[in-house]
Amino acid sequence: MIEWIESVLALTLQVGTVYLLASLGEIYAERSGILNLGLEGIMIMGAASSFIFTLAYGHLAAITVSIIVGVLMSLILALMAVYMRLNQTVAGLALTMLGLGLSGFLASPEVRKVILLALNPSLPEKFLAIQEAPKLPEIPVPTLSEIPVIGCFFRQNALVYFSYAAAPLMWFILFKTRPGLSLRSVGENPAAADAMGVSVFKVRCVATMVSGGFAGLAGAYLFLGFQPFWQEGLTAGKGFIALSLVILSTWNPLRALLGAYLFGGVEVIQYRLQLFGLGALSPYLLAMLPYLVAIAALVAVSIGSVRKRIGAPASLGIPYSREE
Amino acid sequence: MPLKIETRLGRIRIERRIGYSKLYSISMTLFSLALAFLVISMILASLGLDTIQAFLVIFGIFVKPSLLLESVKQSIPICLAALGLSIAFKMNFWNIGAEGQIYMGMIASTGIVLLHEYYGLFHAWAVMPLMLLASFLLGGAWCLIAGALKARLGVNEILPTLMLNYVAILVVEFLVHGPWRDPKGYGFPLSTPFPKYAKLNLVLGEPAYTGLLLSTLGAAAVFFLLEYTRPGFEIKVVGQNPSVARYAGIKVRRTILLGSFLSGGLAGIGGLSIVSGIIGRLRPGASPGYGYTAIIVAALAGLNPWLVMAASIFFGGLLTAGGVLQMSMGIPKAAVQMIQAVIFLMILVGEFVKRYRIVFEKPRASAS
Amino acid sequence: MERLVELRGIVKRFPGVAANDGVDFELRCGEVHALLGENGAGKTTLVNILYGLYKPDEGEIYVRGRKVELKSPKDAISLGIGMVHQNFKLVESHTVLENIILGLKEDGLKIDFERHRGRIIKLAEKYGWRIDPGARIWQLSAGEKQQVELLKILYRGAEILILDEPTSVLTHQETRRLFEALRRMAREGKGIIFITHKLNEVMEVSDRVTVMRKGRVIITKETRETTKAELANYMIGRPVVFSQRKVSAQPGATVLKIVDLKVSGDRGYPAVNGVSLEVERGEILGIAGVSGNGQVELAEAIAGLRKPLAGRILLNGADVTGMDAGRMIEFGVAYIPPEGNKLGIVPEFRVVDNLFLKAYRYPPYSNKLLLNWGKMLEKARELVKEFGVVTPSVFSKARSLSGGNIQRLILARELSGIVGGTPRLIVATYPTKGLDVGAAEFVHDLLLRYKEMGSGIIFISEDLEELLLLSDRIAVMSGGRIRGVLTRGEADAEKIGLLMSEAAPQAG
Repeated sequence: MIEWIESVLALTLQVGTVYLLASLGEIYAERSGILNLGLEGIMIMGAASSFIFTLAYGHLAAITVSIIVGVLMSLILALMAVYMRLNQTVAGLALTMLGLGLSGFLASPEVRKVILLALNPSLPEKFLAIQEAPKLPEIPVPTLSEIPVIGCFFRQNALVYFSYAAAPLMWFILFKTRPGLSLRSVGENPAAADAMGVSVFKVRCVATMVSGGFAGLAGAYLFLGFQPFWQEGLTAGKGFIALSLVILSTWNPLRALLGAYLFGGVEVIQYRLQLFGLGALSPYLLAMLPYLVAIAALVAVSIGSVRKRIGAPASLGIPYSREE
Repeated sequence: MPLKIETRLGRIRIERRIGYSKLYSISMTLFSLALAFLVISMILASLGLDTIQAFLVIFGIFVKPSLLLESVKQSIPICLAALGLSIAFKMNFWNIGAEGQIYMGMIASTGIVLLHEYYGLFHAWAVMPLMLLASFLLGGAWCLIAGALKARLGVNEILPTLMLNYVAILVVEFLVHGPWRDPKGYGFPLSTPFPKYAKLNLVLGEPAYTGLLLSTLGAAAVFFLLEYTRPGFEIKVVGQNPSVARYAGIKVRRTILLGSFLSGGLAGIGGLSIVSGIIGRLRPGASPGYGYTAIIVAALAGLNPWLVMAASIFFGGLLTAGGVLQMSMGIPKAAVQMIQAVIFLMILVGEFVKRYRIVFEKPRASAS
Repeated sequence: MERLVELRGIVKRFPGVAANDGVDFELRCGEVHALLGENGAGKTTLVNILYGLYKPDEGEIYVRGRKVELKSPKDAISLGIGMVHQNFKLVESHTVLENIILGLKEDGLKIDFERHRGRIIKLAEKYGWRIDPGARIWQLSAGEKQQVELLKILYRGAEILILDEPTSVLTHQETRRLFEALRRMAREGKGIIFITHKLNEVMEVSDRVTVMRKGRVIITKETRETTKAELANYMIGRPVVFSQRKVSAQPGATVLKIVDLKVSGDRGYPAVNGVSLEVERGEILGIAGVSGNGQVELAEAIAGLRKPLAGRILLNGADVTGMDAGRMIEFGVAYIPPEGNKLGIVPEFRVVDNLFLKAYRYPPYSNKLLLNWGKMLEKARELVKEFGVVTPSVFSKARSLSGGNIQRLILARELSGIVGGTPRLIVATYPTKGLDVGAAEFVHDLLLRYKEMGSGIIFISEDLEELLLLSDRIAVMSGGRIRGVLTRGEADAEKIGLLMSEAAPQAG
């Protein structure tokens, strides 16, 4: 039994980390007033680039490149949403479509081969056609990883450990530091921030880039740390679920930590139910669970927010311009 | 001013245009399309692909009659879904769920066919009208879920409509793997092939023509709804400003319910056009993202029903070109998705150029 | 006396208008300098330029004798310029402390909350203010919010203070307290630019006054060397007759009766807290009070836009409590919303659409389903002529109309009785706010005309002068309650002011 719990918990952590990494960055973007609906597309670009670069240069390069790719893609959104004042929903959606299309194109066997050879001409032939890459190694923490049940928290790969540290750190920056205050103010009332000499455009741009970097990292983790087998559209809406998680967490990194594991748990339960006697239920029906839970979470938050007066950042989705 | 770039040559300033002509608007749209193809050719060229050949294939589609007919066929679901989206977007209801609504339309149509095939509940001539009705209702209901959540509980519609896409696709997977699997289909996840009377062959026995009739009727209906009817007026007011709508005594919630239902319903009929006109049965992945393409089409057409029709045919051609590119040049099919996305991005940039003017100012002697 | 600020030949053009057209202005140490002018005279544009929010197209700015270029408020702040905007620029969901230190560079990365706390309390005490740095902005009254705005700039050691219409949201008492604080700041050697369109305030608080009209400076004078009448003349460009309009009230049947009405505000707590009122046929009931004391919520409840929590609304004797806006329109209630350009029209719609925003669903303009554009266009052209809406055609977008014409459009829609004949009840909330004198006079005349035609009118305004001019009775509202009702004979500014401040809203 303990073993079973431990394995469920370990898997929950691993799935949850995808959501956590993606939503941490998104919280920053939304706190600054930018809805990054491109999350899904950035994540899959992160996954695709980590796939290609792992084969060419190994893990470290792959993760670095994924982050860079994420930042670059979010720059497109920043340009369109912040400077061009275009509708953020549409711009984000376009970015998601770009990510889905571009990743499918670049990682397709034909094109991938061209890219891999360009990156590393000495790459052995067998790497040119495979669909998978080496998984990130687990790094058990001595002693701690021996503890029953919760030991699984300390038998994870480096990116999971990073996410443990990132959540509280992102919380601290957001609520206790000067840049965090500026960021929150810009998202609530950009005119007020502008009047006090805070550059709304710079802050929003940086926050969007943070969300892009984290989304790229989330994609890299999804592929390298969880499921190192490439298939088109492998994010399967995880970016959108992360967006719901941001709302569920009421834009708070620490609550996102809890929420991410909750969503991770839901997904793991769905796998496990398939294994356990519930064969009568089609796996396709069970697979709906994460999406339905995400909708339920949105409904719950929206009922709760009326009562508790927690709302989205007041200027979320509204372009800012000084002279209009 | 958001963007004010100081350069050695002077300042670059961005100003809102007070108004612009239709001609300017159209030429800017064409300009952004040209820009999109420039970007695409750069991507293709950088990967060592034969760009000119690829473009010849893409634009050759619209010259060869058989391929043009295929493009028109592909454009039907896109057009119907985009017409639905035009209603939703006019209402400022961000329905990103046309894809799921299309799948629900397919399910409804297939359900009617199976009811007839397995149980013979109604006459053969009644099948097509019932399919139309059922796909409209089920597609509409699927969108109505998000509409009701918004109207009743104030849940933003973007994420629910998106999530329901994935759910709808899984419903289809479930059906064709389970209860609706064709007993004579060697275990493949496919439904029974549709009989003749359940196919779109009313006009000249050709789905493309029948479909064209369907989308023309759809465009006319949407145009009429938005310009000449009370609900259409209400939808537009709600889209502009719900507070003003309430002030005018418009029942905002009811309008949202109606608008979202109509939007999903049209996408549902788009689903029908896929199973009855393009594939002839239900199978997983029956839509290669028509519902997402429809969003681009609606944006490109500026929500004008007639332009939606034209833009759909263009994108239908692009989808058709995808198959040809893969077969003749070995360019992966995902290239089409990428091309669509680049076009989408450039349309948005075009919107910006339309609305704002970029002013170059001469440098001034600065004493500070 | 040392010159703090000097503006020379400032020109700022917006698409279509020159908001500032060659403006010269000067601010000295230790003076309160009033900047007087009507709405749209270019006062706000001028100070926005001085604060680095707008960039002038032409002209030069000198601060303490040095020529400067202000690229953004950041530059202005570093030169010791601070501004309190007309619409408070505060982050409502944040604390007082967070708002005050926003954008400050003196901390390291981590904010030292305790140190700031102590310093803020001390600074506030210096001006006689008591403020809790941990309170959230939305919990504060308008007067306290303004203190936070002032603390924000004083905390940065500003020497040049700009206040844009600072008294428009304050009660009589709060205004007094503000003026005392301003005089004290002037004694400390700071320079204060005080923007207003109220002559009394200019006379009361300023040392010098500059009058602007249509983007130009008309004159700059020592305040004690001028008079109200002279300033009014400069401001409006023609002699003003402070006339009394004599339209006697004809007592009639009760149109509207409100009994113990309670209405919830946006924040959840009751904004209207037990109001009882009556309006008769052909009567104008003025409602005086500082804005934000429940007036808009009261109006919205009558118009059917807010469901009352308790109490009853009777229209011509029929109970209409809780009916929606559509029903109230059919009952003949016309509602002129506050900020008409935002809430009263759809800017992207054509003039004709806006004129029929309510009437489109009634015959003969439509049947159950279809709209009759022919009928609508015909009527729209008539209305545009009748109400003098200046527009190229009824197909022009409402966005392209001027503020005064937008108000005319709204009045045409509401008062012309397209739906149910002459309105029984007109609820006008701040109908002249932001309009120039001519446009405001048009609104006044129109209300009087409908009064004569027998409509009952509720006239909500902050401007005592126009309230006294038009109202048969004046109800004074504060803190969600009616503090007293004065008849035309007994009402004067003194009494109304007293009632207004009787129970000024407190925090929370």
